[in-house]
Amino acid sequence: MTAFSEHEIKLSSGALRYRKGGSGRPLLTLHGTGGPNVSPAMEELAQRHTIYQPVGPGWDGTPLHPSVKSVPDLAELYGEFIRTTIGGPCDVIGVSFGGWIAMWLALRHPDLVDQLVLEAPAGLRDPGTGGLPADPAHLRAALFSNPERAPKLVRSPEVWAQNRRARDGYATGISLDQPLLDALPQIKARTLVLFGTKDEVCPVEKTGRRLKAGIPNSHLSFIYGSAHALELDQPARTARLIGAFLERGEAFLVRNPEAA
Amino acid sequence: MKFSYFHLMPWTDLEETPAQWPVSNQAFRPERGKQLYDTYIDTMAFAEQCGFDWVGCNEHHFSPYGLMANCNLIGSVLAQRTKTIGLAMLGNLIPLLNPIRVAEEYAMIDVMSGGRLIAGMIRGVPHEYIAYNVVPGESRERLREAAALIVKCWTEPEPFGWEGEFYQYPSISIWPKPYQKPHPPILMSASNEESAEFAGQHRAMMGITLIADLKLAKRSIDVYKQAARAHGLEPTPEHILLGYNTCIADTDEEAREIMREGQRYFHRVLMHSIRDAQRLVIQKSRFFAQEQFGERFVNRLETLKERSLDEMIDAGSILCGSPQSVVKQMKRIHGELSHGCFNINMKIGNIPDAAVRRGMELFRDKVLPEVRSL
Repeated sequence: MTAFSEHEIKLSSGALRYRKGGSGRPLLTLHGTGGPNVSPAMEELAQRHTIYQPVGPGWDGTPLHPSVKSVPDLAELYGEFIRTTIGGPCDVIGVSFGGWIAMWLALRHPDLVDQLVLEAPAGLRDPGTGGLPADPAHLRAALFSNPERAPKLVRSPEVWAQNRRARDGYATGISLDQPLLDALPQIKARTLVLFGTKDEVCPVEKTGRRLKAGIPNSHLSFIYGSAHALELDQPARTARLIGAFLERGEAFLVRNPEAA
Repeated sequence: MKFSYFHLMPWTDLEETPAQWPVSNQAFRPERGKQLYDTYIDTMAFAEQCGFDWVGCNEHHFSPYGLMANCNLIGSVLAQRTKTIGLAMLGNLIPLLNPIRVAEEYAMIDVMSGGRLIAGMIRGVPHEYIAYNVVPGESRERLREAAALIVKCWTEPEPFGWEGEFYQYPSISIWPKPYQKPHPPILMSASNEESAEFAGQHRAMMGITLIADLKLAKRSIDVYKQAARAHGLEPTPEHILLGYNTCIADTDEEAREIMREGQRYFHRVLMHSIRDAQRLVIQKSRFFAQEQFGERFVNRLETLKERSLDEMIDAGSILCGSPQSVVKQMKRIHGELSHGCFNINMKIGNIPDAAVRRGMELFRDKVLPEVRSL
């Protein structure tokens, strides 16, 4: 198991907590509504990457930054984090809500994002479709294809509710971010978009196809048998695909003997 | 001299240059697809009446370059629509497929057509390995094993098992067996010296898809002949098939104009994203055992794209002009390469189908009588 260490850095808008672990090419991961996890997939990726996992202001009991109010504001915050802490451009994985931020980050700071991975990203969902259910039983069913076999959630219902409030504060009721949708063709980073075949939180019919059609250099892949929490629900398939993409770039399309 | 009428079945209606491979299929319209299949199959069946010896089709994936993901489906239609013409499947991309299924489908076509199958066993172009997610560096050895297995399927009189490196089957006995005995003629690609040697070792007929340079083609043919002789086959001209994009019209000017337009669409739309995918496979895998063949493959595509029509005619890469001009061009190429079969593709890019038909009639009436005896 890779050891992840806890850190805190002062940024212009306030203090930001983050985890760091692994070794290799830097990789920034932006968490979803639930908060940051060192998932089995992340453990796998840490074998070849130095992973930076910031905790969004307001998640897991951390204070809000008064000047950071929206998803694009969070993108600016993480841009500053890349410059000051990572020290240069890096690959970025955005999970669900974090995917929404990652897209704004890639748009606003193309010089800081090498390759982009979007795991069932939020922000491009038609109002009234999908979304995270509120009650715990339905939430587990939405995150995991087989809730009985799913890992136990590490956070108490209270922390979950708090994290969800943080997310709602930044999302400001938007499920379809029209300015982002319009700007997708300007994303320069090579992008891998992942969706579970059983994801009902971010239905691929609209979101996935919008991303594939919108981002010029993008690949859409399905993780067979997974619901919304790709890294936890199908860790091996998810890590294998992301690892190949990050390591080999466009050549991840070409099967190599190790994968046979 | 024998003549094969070859068709790629391209999608002709794309206006934009595709940005990426695989090419998005959003622009595919099924009713237009139906029209194209009807027209293309009619044209291919018409080849029989124009004196062609074979009608040829092939397999491509994930692009408007060709609408034949499985050419055996077209082969089985042509078996019903024609009486005498050879059905050249050029071919199934053997390393990507289940070899047992190929053996069965080829046997079906051969039996349905009364023994008219020419069985192409082709490795395929590099990007097809992305499409079917097969390790490109294994392509040659997969082809070698699969070809051996297919021949066994056709010739073993009793059920047999196969425990190979890539393929394992506990017990095989295909129904039907082929019509031709001991089995249908096999054709393999010989577009470079590496593949020419492979084709010769297998005592197959050899085919070159596109000729960039007559000297390089000659070298491949020589390598093929040497390897075939070393493996017990004395190759005749009929063992050597050369592929030519061809435009025959009433005048040279008209032919050039038609060809120019068709090639513009071919390079701008049909080949654009394919070139990128091919480069990717060549750079990132051992598709070509020797680096020089990979470089040459990429350069050949670039060269063909950048050459003028006159340069292509001079290089012996295409056939284009009035019937008299095409006869001259064919005689010159035959003089250089002494082959026995031209594989002629007249539907280049979006050349109108009426112009293709006219070219076929001119071939029948004015070209064939002059070159049949070569």
